[in-house]
Amino acid sequence: MVDRIELRGAKDEELVRISTIMGLALNLEEMKKIQNYFKSIDREPTDVELQSIAQAWSEHCCYKSSKPVLKRFIFGIKAPQCIDVIEEDAGVVALDGEFAYVVAFESHNHPSTIEPYGGAATGIGGIVRDVICMGAQPVALIDPLFFAPLDYPYERLPADVKHPRFLFNGVVSGISDYGNRIGIPTCAGMVYFHDRYAGNCVVNVGCVGVMKRKDLRRSSARAGDVLVLAGGKTGRDGIHGVTFASGVLKESEEYRSAVQLGDPITKEPLMHAILECNDQGLIDGMKDLGGGGLSCAVSEMCYSGGCGAEIHLERVKLKESGLHAWEIWISESQERFLLSVTPDKVDSLLTIFDKWDVDATVIGDAVSGSHIRLYYHDELVFDLDVAFVLDTPVYERPKAIPNVESEESDMDEPDSYDEILKMLLASPNIASRESIIRRYDHEVRAATVLKPLQGIMGKETHADATVLKPLESSFKGIAITADVNPAYCELNPFWGAASAIDEACRNLTAVGAVPHSFADCLNFGNPEKPQCMGEFYECCRGLGYMASSIGVPFVSGNVSFYNESEALGVSIPPTPAILGIGICDDIRECVTVDVKAASNPLYVVGTTKRELGGSAYYRLRGEKCGIVPRTDPQVLKVRMAALRDAMAAHMVASCHDISDGGLAVAVCEMLIGGDLGADIDISDLNTGSESGRLRSDYKLFSESNTRWVVEVWRDVRTNFEKLMHDRGIVISAIGYTKGERMITMRDGAKKLVELPLEELSTVWRAGIA
Amino acid sequence: MIKVCVLRIEGTNCEEETALAFARLGASTELVHLKQLTGAVKERDRRNLADYDLLVIPGGFSAGDYVRAGAIFAARLKGALSAELSEFVSEGKPILGICNGFQVLVELGLLPGNGDNRYAALTTNSSAHFECRPTLLKHENRGNCIFTKGIPRGAILKMPCAHAEGNFFIANEEYIQRLEDNDQIVFRYVDPAGNYASYPWNPNGSVYNIAAICNPEGNILGMMPHPERAFYSFTDHEWWRAGGKRGRGGEVGTYGDGKKLFESIMDHLRSHIYML
Repeated sequence: MVDRIELRGAKDEELVRISTIMGLALNLEEMKKIQNYFKSIDREPTDVELQSIAQAWSEHCCYKSSKPVLKRFIFGIKAPQCIDVIEEDAGVVALDGEFAYVVAFESHNHPSTIEPYGGAATGIGGIVRDVICMGAQPVALIDPLFFAPLDYPYERLPADVKHPRFLFNGVVSGISDYGNRIGIPTCAGMVYFHDRYAGNCVVNVGCVGVMKRKDLRRSSARAGDVLVLAGGKTGRDGIHGVTFASGVLKESEEYRSAVQLGDPITKEPLMHAILECNDQGLIDGMKDLGGGGLSCAVSEMCYSGGCGAEIHLERVKLKESGLHAWEIWISESQERFLLSVTPDKVDSLLTIFDKWDVDATVIGDAVSGSHIRLYYHDELVFDLDVAFVLDTPVYERPKAIPNVESEESDMDEPDSYDEILKMLLASPNIASRESIIRRYDHEVRAATVLKPLQGIMGKETHADATVLKPLESSFKGIAITADVNPAYCELNPFWGAASAIDEACRNLTAVGAVPHSFADCLNFGNPEKPQCMGEFYECCRGLGYMASSIGVPFVSGNVSFYNESEALGVSIPPTPAILGIGICDDIRECVTVDVKAASNPLYVVGTTKRELGGSAYYRLRGEKCGIVPRTDPQVLKVRMAALRDAMAAHMVASCHDISDGGLAVAVCEMLIGGDLGADIDISDLNTGSESGRLRSDYKLFSESNTRWVVEVWRDVRTNFEKLMHDRGIVISAIGYTKGERMITMRDGAKKLVELPLEELSTVWRAGIA
Repeated sequence: MIKVCVLRIEGTNCEEETALAFARLGASTELVHLKQLTGAVKERDRRNLADYDLLVIPGGFSAGDYVRAGAIFAARLKGALSAELSEFVSEGKPILGICNGFQVLVELGLLPGNGDNRYAALTTNSSAHFECRPTLLKHENRGNCIFTKGIPRGAILKMPCAHAEGNFFIANEEYIQRLEDNDQIVFRYVDPAGNYASYPWNPNGSVYNIAAICNPEGNILGMMPHPERAFYSFTDHEWWRAGGKRGRGGEVGTYGDGKKLFESIMDHLRSHIYML
């Protein structure tokens, strides 16, 4: 069952061949390093050992291409709320003196492209485990999804490449079936369409959990602890998942075995059992089994705890007989945790698992020293120093800083603003997501206060952020949003990424929350290509610039490279998805997006510039150039604070951030949710230095950052204006809501739009089905 | 003190908030795993169904709902707890099934009751997929159902639903008349004007817009919508339209319609237990 590989005498081409045949995804240089190690200890490696090293050294597990960049820009933003960030499976952040919240955010792109239903489901499974293994109860799931357009022409897809509609349906069903079954609300996310996701969709999954700070468990073992494997059985599903994810995507059914099989009804009681054990203080340390399976979990727990381990692989419960030792060791079968437990608590722990009918098996011990030894039916099949296994390669990859942004040509002003507005509202990146949102249980646990759809019952519109009230004893709220605009990042990765942070902050502020932490899921192409590495570098620089300037830390994240379809020869656009977490001191003070009453004044907060590169309007009109929106973190800070103060003073009836489709679309979305009309005049819109010279279509559809539309209660409008004026905040009065369900927009004497609300809401609601 | 048993197995997932709803109203509430009632756990963890005043089967996806929604949970109850359940019911003690719990009660044959469950089922939603949305429920019971005695007839309550199989289906339309005659219909889906309306107001295509029914004796209630998610008004986004906490446009209070149902149940239990 165990092979010895003749490595020490192998020539270069033989080393490469070994890597390929065994599916190690290691390059020659890495193979040579391994060869030298085994020369130094004077023996040949077993297949278990080589496979194990390949897991640990994969891009997916060790971040060998991304780490130097992450260290420079993303890690280390200091903030007092950080308890345990970046280093573990999930970031732990203080909610108050007694409680903490936990954030994790990951990609599941390659599996979802091969097998969308299972890929999306196991993506949730994995992220939920990351949160549980800190000792927290998961309370929210977040799913940003990126596909090629659903009407993508079949004839443009090679035979092996699955159509985006198939992927979309599968992913949404996978999330719905798995997320709903485990009883964690899926309460935020995004769905974005772009041609370059053909052949490689992007499925990111985030999870937020809540715990008592005293229940925090680290992913480390201590010598003397017993190691318990709990949860599902181990099988051949998910072999080589991480090495598969660390190469360019070859679309083929051959790789289906790299996709794990999820089982929510093992996960659900497993979650209860673990949290019950942790609550009773029975767990010393724990780690979920994700990429690399047992091999990574054991190595990392030992390394972190400064100990070694002795494991008996035959004790691992299997789904099927005949697995090789190396397969047991690296299988990524789902729903499993590794627990380190002091010997006196093992019986109590196993009793709880028994009550929940969940398997839990003692598979070995943590021992002093730094060696991990594996026995398979008494044969020693693995004996390596954990320090070597985790001495992972790091690369400073060459990068080319891309610059595709350019001044646009002057296109004609549209003949019919009515038609343009309707086309924007119907466009796939703006149209209603209701048909998806309703398929996710977004309020199980009964703590979802502001839901992803808000407004009059039956007329609901998109929310800016979802708000949870996680604690029975407190009105404190956690606001959640997920944002990125890949079309900006494609033109200008630095400002595109900066815009994602700006948008996350806008969305959190729009409901009245204070931005508190970020998680990043960075999805890019092949890092061995300087162009992709350059995009990655610039995006990280943009994220770091914004987050550090406003003092909000990144607490968790994930990098997914090699998002390229070999068959199509394209990589995805740079996709640094941001999960923004905000805190509301009292959820009863939150603000929703739907307009509340007729005759209330509407304002735009912020300056509207000619920043339409990558905008929904330019994409609609086929304009590929243009300047993407810039942002200034200091201005963002001041505007957020002023807006929150206006909300605290009960001046704000509703609020919506301005993003895709500009202010015209933002106003329509607010009106749809409140079922009211409005008269809008943009002649006095503040356009900064371009004062008075900006064309009407640019005013209406610009996507300049750091802007909101605010509905102010009419009796306090002067107070609002004074507050904003005193703070030096730019605001422009743009009109009033009205009971008559008509929307008119004009620029002084020039009439632009005159449409019944019904007509706009109908095209918007036609959605993306 | 009123003792509430909220029953759980793998995949039930609304038990904590359901238990909280009763606890907030002063009940002694316990989350009990089915194995604790059937004796398949250590001595100290064992519980006896007869010790409780109310049995609640909460929402979720018990055992994954893989065969049919609620079928596996119901089969296990039948197999291991049949006698205790019969005794509990025959003593007139109440059972509440919410969402998946309703599906379990129908699978068990406890609803619609009469010992005749061949005519009714909760089948796949007419939209063919999961529906998470607010619903409006008109209270139609004439006094038979012990759970809703505190709610005026004709009152409209707002509670969210979240299910894929909530389509109350009946093989024979005449059976509806029997439900009416026995005063078994408790809640029906309506639109904001109070009319019996189709999708999305009736989220699943239920015949006769049925959202909740009780047994002929009135002590077993099954309902698809989730009252525990409507305990407080701030989980209803329209609360912010009514002015929310700051009371613009009208004071609406802190509590949602779900609480009315729990209160009605608790009031009944209190009076009933004191009578004993």
